[in-house]
Amino acid sequence: MRARDLAEEYPLVQLTDSALAAAELIARQRRPGVVVVDADNHPVTVLPGSQVLRFIVPGYVQEDPSLARVYDERGGAEACVGKLAGRTVKEVLPPKDKRYELPLVSGEATVMECAAMMARLHSPLLLVADGDTIHGVVTTSHLLDVLLKTNPGSSE
Amino acid sequence: MSISQILSIVVFVGAYILIATERVHRVAAALGGAALMLALGLTNGETAFHSLDAGVDWNVVFLLLGMMIIVGVIKQTGLFEYLAIAAAKRAKGKPFAVMVLFVIITAVASAALDNVTTVLLIAPVTFLVCDRLNLNPIPFLIAEVLASNIGGAATLIGDPPNIIIASRAGLSFNDFLIHMAPFAIFMMAVFVLVCRWLFRSAFKYDEKRVAEVMALNERDAIRDSKLLWQSMIVLALVMVGFVLHSALHVEPSVVALLGAGVLVMISKVTTEEAIADVEWETLVFFMGLFIMVGALVKTGVIGEVSKALADAVGGQPLLAVMALLGISAVLSAIVDNIPYVATMSPIVADLVAAQGGGPQAESLWWSLALGADLGGNATAVGASANVVMLGLAARNGTPISFWKFTRYGIIVAALSIALAAPYLWLRYFVLA
Repeated sequence: MRARDLAEEYPLVQLTDSALAAAELIARQRRPGVVVVDADNHPVTVLPGSQVLRFIVPGYVQEDPSLARVYDERGGAEACVGKLAGRTVKEVLPPKDKRYELPLVSGEATVMECAAMMARLHSPLLLVADGDTIHGVVTTSHLLDVLLKTNPGSSE
Repeated sequence: MSISQILSIVVFVGAYILIATERVHRVAAALGGAALMLALGLTNGETAFHSLDAGVDWNVVFLLLGMMIIVGVIKQTGLFEYLAIAAAKRAKGKPFAVMVLFVIITAVASAALDNVTTVLLIAPVTFLVCDRLNLNPIPFLIAEVLASNIGGAATLIGDPPNIIIASRAGLSFNDFLIHMAPFAIFMMAVFVLVCRWLFRSAFKYDEKRVAEVMALNERDAIRDSKLLWQSMIVLALVMVGFVLHSALHVEPSVVALLGAGVLVMISKVTTEEAIADVEWETLVFFMGLFIMVGALVKTGVIGEVSKALADAVGGQPLLAVMALLGISAVLSAIVDNIPYVATMSPIVADLVAAQGGGPQAESLWWSLALGADLGGNATAVGASANVVMLGLAARNGTPISFWKFTRYGIIVAALSIALAAPYLWLRYFVLA
């Protein structure tokens, strides 16, 4: 099986799209993240849900676990969600020099190549593309499913 | 002047310039300077590692190490967060009342812990409370760091310069409580009043936001109540040990190390967690400094400088005390007060001895401590806590510029020194 066969259709967001809309996409469709493309639809990076959390949870709370406990649910939500209003996807991404390497393989990549790339980059998503043609995205859950089913010792 | 004296001055001044200008990391500068002193034969291994007067002051190093371990464990309890949020709720979210309680908590904590740790603990809660009240956190952060330097002056363990002075002068924890704490408490009272005027524009707030502070659950900040009790009991015992160390003939460093050892043994905190907050860089920096200053002592440079100063102020102890206070304040505002005090301590020891001891001569130590501790408030680079606070503010997206800090700091430092001068004069010359 090749990466092209594993790839699924996946929503893409542009750098200039609303950050709130991207967060809603991740939340409502239970996605691990979204693929970010530029104005020419060239993939730029992956925006994982964890990065959205990193952006909205105040830095002082991330650094001090005791403080995270003092919010009630409503207070916590208020402290976080307001930060996305009026922001673009580009603003939520880490600065360019700290941005995640684009997890990208060609359509011909093997399952093991896909797994190795995702493991190395700690990415929940892997983009499958050849030149300007985006075949889709491989998710961790789909890839693990394929690996488990292929293993002769697997329970299934 | 001998060749060895000239060489030791060149190495020392070179390292000092590198430390002050931050052209290389201060640890590299201090260690490089120490290595050069040893390589050039200006000091030797025996002196550097075993001499009480011209070697590494292990009392200072191990006192710092012990307290860093204790603080590292206390940090994990959430006590500080609990106290600060409870204080903000008690103040009913009124900004000036919040600021007063926060600076008092900071000053008291700084007297027991080192200033950098205190600042690291109070800053996150300040961000949270200001965020909830929609207030600018900058005035609060500046007030807290100024308070930490004032509070730290009160005790032997409150500020690294005090630890060096205590060890070099043979002063006890109680000596600091008797001579430094009264002024620190008085200065804090003055500082609180000054805050009202200094940060007057920071106290406008929206009363509707108070509910957001009152909704915070401070009790949930305590993550491990058993660890909290263990830490508090050990810290209390360590404080008792400090108070009694002269009577028990035990060095403060031994008290701190015992406390750290007991706390690590009785708590569930792993060794890795306990030593994670030890600032090894600071400890190595101290060792390098002590070896460099020790070389100046060994080659006789310190002796010559002390003699020249003793001749200059001979028979005028008040002039010596006031000059030392002023010079220490100015220099500590410009350069890190730790290397300054490490260099000045052997000189002051000689000056005290030249004046034959006694309360007036010993007031030189308090003059050095007050000048170095309080002078550090004047600029953003005057004390380590200031630098750390600026870093925290920048990371939170509310940067404090050098001049913004200095605009407030210089007023508080000048006021502190202006009040310290009559304090020293009245206490050691008029009422002595």
